Amino acid sequence: MLLLTIQSFFSSLIPIFLFLFCHVRGVSASDYFEQLNLKPLPHLSLLASFDFRSNTTFSQFEAQSYRYFPRSLGQILQHVGTKELHLRFSLGRWDAESWGARPWDGTREGGTGVELWAWLEADTDEEADHKWLTLTNALSGLFCASLNFIDQTRTIRPAMSFRPEGDHPNSTLENTHLLHGVLPHEVVCTENLTPFLKLLPCKGKSGISSLLDGHKLFDASWQSMAIDIRPVCPPSGGECVLEIEQTIDMVLDIERSKRPRGNPIPRPPPGHDLKCNTSKPYHSGDTCFPADLLDSQDWTLDQVFGKTMKGTCPLTDPNVPPVCIQAPERRDVYTTGGVTEYKDPSGLSRCYQIPPDSEFSLVLPRMPREGENAKTDADEMVVPETPLLYAERSFTGHGQERGGVQSILTNPSPDTEVEFIYMESLPWFMRIYLHTLKTRIEGISGNNEDVIEEIYYRPALDRARGTQLELRMRIPPASTVFLTYDFEKTILRYTEYPPDANRGFDVAASVITILPSSDPNAPPARQKTSNLRTTSLLLSLPTPDFSMPYNVIIFTSTAIALAFGGLYNILVRRFVAADEGPEVDVTGIKGKIIHGVMGLLKKIKGAKGKLE
Amino acid sequence: MNHGKMQTQATVGLYAAASALRLSLFILFPALPDLLTGRVEISTPVTSFKRFQEGLFLYNHNVSPYDGGVYHQAPLLLPLFSLLPDPAAYPIFTYLLYIVVDLLSAYALYQIAESGEAASSKLFTSPRKDKRWSGYVVAASFLFSPFTIATCLARPTSVFTTCAILHAIAKAIAGYPLTSMLALSFGAYLSMYPTLLLPPLVLLAYDRQRVDNTTPSLLQFASRCVATVSLCVSLLFSVSYLVTGSWEFIPSTYGIQLTLTDLTPNVGLWWYFFIEMFDSFRSFFLGVFWLHLSSYVGGLSIRIRSQPLVVLTLLLGIFAIFKPYPSISDASLFLAVLPLFRHVFPLMRYSFLTASTILYSTCLGPAFYHLWIYAGSGNANFFYAITLVWSLGLSLLVSDLTFAVLRDEWEVERPEMVGKEIRQI
Repeated sequence: MLLLTIQSFFSSLIPIFLFLFCHVRGVSASDYFEQLNLKPLPHLSLLASFDFRSNTTFSQFEAQSYRYFPRSLGQILQHVGTKELHLRFSLGRWDAESWGARPWDGTREGGTGVELWAWLEADTDEEADHKWLTLTNALSGLFCASLNFIDQTRTIRPAMSFRPEGDHPNSTLENTHLLHGVLPHEVVCTENLTPFLKLLPCKGKSGISSLLDGHKLFDASWQSMAIDIRPVCPPSGGECVLEIEQTIDMVLDIERSKRPRGNPIPRPPPGHDLKCNTSKPYHSGDTCFPADLLDSQDWTLDQVFGKTMKGTCPLTDPNVPPVCIQAPERRDVYTTGGVTEYKDPSGLSRCYQIPPDSEFSLVLPRMPREGENAKTDADEMVVPETPLLYAERSFTGHGQERGGVQSILTNPSPDTEVEFIYMESLPWFMRIYLHTLKTRIEGISGNNEDVIEEIYYRPALDRARGTQLELRMRIPPASTVFLTYDFEKTILRYTEYPPDANRGFDVAASVITILPSSDPNAPPARQKTSNLRTTSLLLSLPTPDFSMPYNVIIFTSTAIALAFGGLYNILVRRFVAADEGPEVDVTGIKGKIIHGVMGLLKKIKGAKGKLE
Repeated sequence: MNHGKMQTQATVGLYAAASALRLSLFILFPALPDLLTGRVEISTPVTSFKRFQEGLFLYNHNVSPYDGGVYHQAPLLLPLFSLLPDPAAYPIFTYLLYIVVDLLSAYALYQIAESGEAASSKLFTSPRKDKRWSGYVVAASFLFSPFTIATCLARPTSVFTTCAILHAIAKAIAGYPLTSMLALSFGAYLSMYPTLLLPPLVLLAYDRQRVDNTTPSLLQFASRCVATVSLCVSLLFSVSYLVTGSWEFIPSTYGIQLTLTDLTPNVGLWWYFFIEMFDSFRSFFLGVFWLHLSSYVGGLSIRIRSQPLVVLTLLLGIFAIFKPYPSISDASLFLAVLPLFRHVFPLMRYSFLTASTILYSTCLGPAFYHLWIYAGSGNANFFYAITLVWSLGLSLLVSDLTFAVLRDEWEVERPEMVGKEIRQI
């Protein structure tokens, strides 16, 4: 305890600006800190990134002495020998065309649904599978998610895509196994947020986590909850720590979030309240081009989150300002009283140090777009960065027999090529034909050089494992690559369909890992690994008729019986002329029956007589 | 002599016409082969050419094609096809190979027909034996049957099995039991079910062997044949092991026919039955279905001992109906050997009914499949119903042929009954 106080004393001496925007990963002096980053986006959207980070030294972790590190998770990790773990709960689609590059370079997000990957310590593959099963079942209970459905058919062992983020000694890496599982069908909801908040030291009672509310989070246009656990060793030496980083990123639709809680049903505004773009030639009394999207943002923190922020978390590093907003200096931002503002020297963001135990809110008023002090978009928000790569994926073809997948990958940079790994983890009932994998390139360079450099392919096995496809690709500047392949839709046993069989089956997002540039003069965004995921797909399979298993069994059996009976009937019987052989008609049968009954009666009588 | 020369000329002309027809279809309609390859009626999971291409692609890229759920065909086809240029880039070589295989099958069929074995075997000579079609007609009916042409265009690997079976029969008739067993081993290696043809084929070869003073007993002969086949098949397996480097191909190629893990629709009865089957009864019914399929071999071989070629024909018909993954390629093989029995056609009772049922299901099958899969206006029962009709039509044909053959046999004992009404007791 004494040691800790001294440590925090020393850390407070370090100039405060060093801590501003400390996205650079490293071991912070304190064992816990949290920060909320707000970033207004075009089209009346707002990106809110919550970051919670705590750590524990390995000696304390081994001794099961937990302070900020959640005990429930720590014990699971220890039990199954997890060296590094990443868990994602995501919803919605990141609109890269208008929102630009992804937060955290896409490394803190997952595909739609739940995604989990971990490095497990195990001597053999079987042991790793067994530990993975234990891990998914334990996490399933902890996070109230169907993670236990990540079975062998949804688990892959990525060969090229994922790299450990933490600092692992080489000796451990040798016998660790990377396993990756994804549940695209999982609906992420409030029941997943509650356990997520429980892992935090302040448990959503104070600090920035008090803003989190299931109603707003899961109503967002895009959201991603992430948990990352990794060992971190200070570059200067010293004891390594196990770090848990929990992040929540959400893109709020401001108009939608401002809707009062008591009146959540969206209704069209009355005609006189419509904001129209009067510059349109067809604008008149009964035609209107909505001008909302061109309008200035106007919101307060408690409006968009539905709550005010309740002070700061008392356990957090006091030197890290809990709330930051990325907006140009010309943007007016007002806060509640007692708040200290720190401006970034770049003029593109500012942070707020909040006194503990006071409610905090942020007000961004409407900026005049007309008149004397007219402001433009550039005054109001930081222009989003262009992402390194755009990716979209869709199905082609029609019918329920076969189809194709087309991925469109665009490198927007005018002068730099981009190298990345494209990974797909497909369900086994989507039988892909690798020989149909084709690439077509369009762009200024136009030369049809081979964009695929390396393929790792593990075909699916029916009911045992899914397809794993990893491609290392390189796209020249300002070009678009169309990646296509065919697949066949499998028809399943009727018990293998979900209750809503005709809805279709979810196919997990493909994961794109952009490799860091080898050029030392590249801009910082290209110096590190970044990620990107496409949307998930909905695959409709042919369905049998679920209502008639008995009928089918009966019909088929009848057909077989007819064939078998008919043939053997012909084989075993003798041929006679139509008028030869014994009489077989109704009277004959009647006579036989009567004869038989009489005989039986006689016998009974005889038996009775004997008894007497 | 002159007649024989003319006959040869006519046959060469027939083969030339058949290959010209196939080649022109391949070249004039370049999209047709791939369209037919995609049809479930022709391509089954164990014979499909598209799956074969995938297996070939994986094999050429050093990925085991058997470590996946797509490729279920025999391993030795892979090195054979990797000798050919890539089928996607130079399809013509593949086309030529398939045309040649079809011609080889037709040649074997021609020999079978010319031998006259169908009407007069060692133990039985039909009173109607003069009323038969020549090898020319039989080969023509095979080569110009729409089922055969569609099969050839769709390029399933089942044509190799067809060829092997026909050659096994032709060689057995010609009195070369060893060659015959060799051909059968190839068929069994390629698609497993020809193993069931072994008992009647042994009988046929025994009946037709060259007569000299050291004629072995049937038991000796049969055990020699079985030994040949087992040796041959184990040799093929060993070579496959050397080619693929593991025994993985056995569960993937033959196991799938026993366990039916791939339920892709086809013209047979198994797929829908096992989609709708309750999980706890699945293995039981798989056993029952296989037992049913093999139960015909013994019964037919014993009852129609005097005419082994009839047994082979009937079994081919039964396989075309009740095998796990049948296709119209199997039906085309049955319909190809059927004209050998021209002499019993007048004794068949339901020829019109059978012909119209088969025609009806041939026309409606693709239509109902379209309604289910593409239009969405029908459900799986549509296609299932049509496969039931198809199976019933073919099984009617099989039992009708059995009846005709047996009656033909009976009329040798009772020549006065020709043309009279009879019944069976």
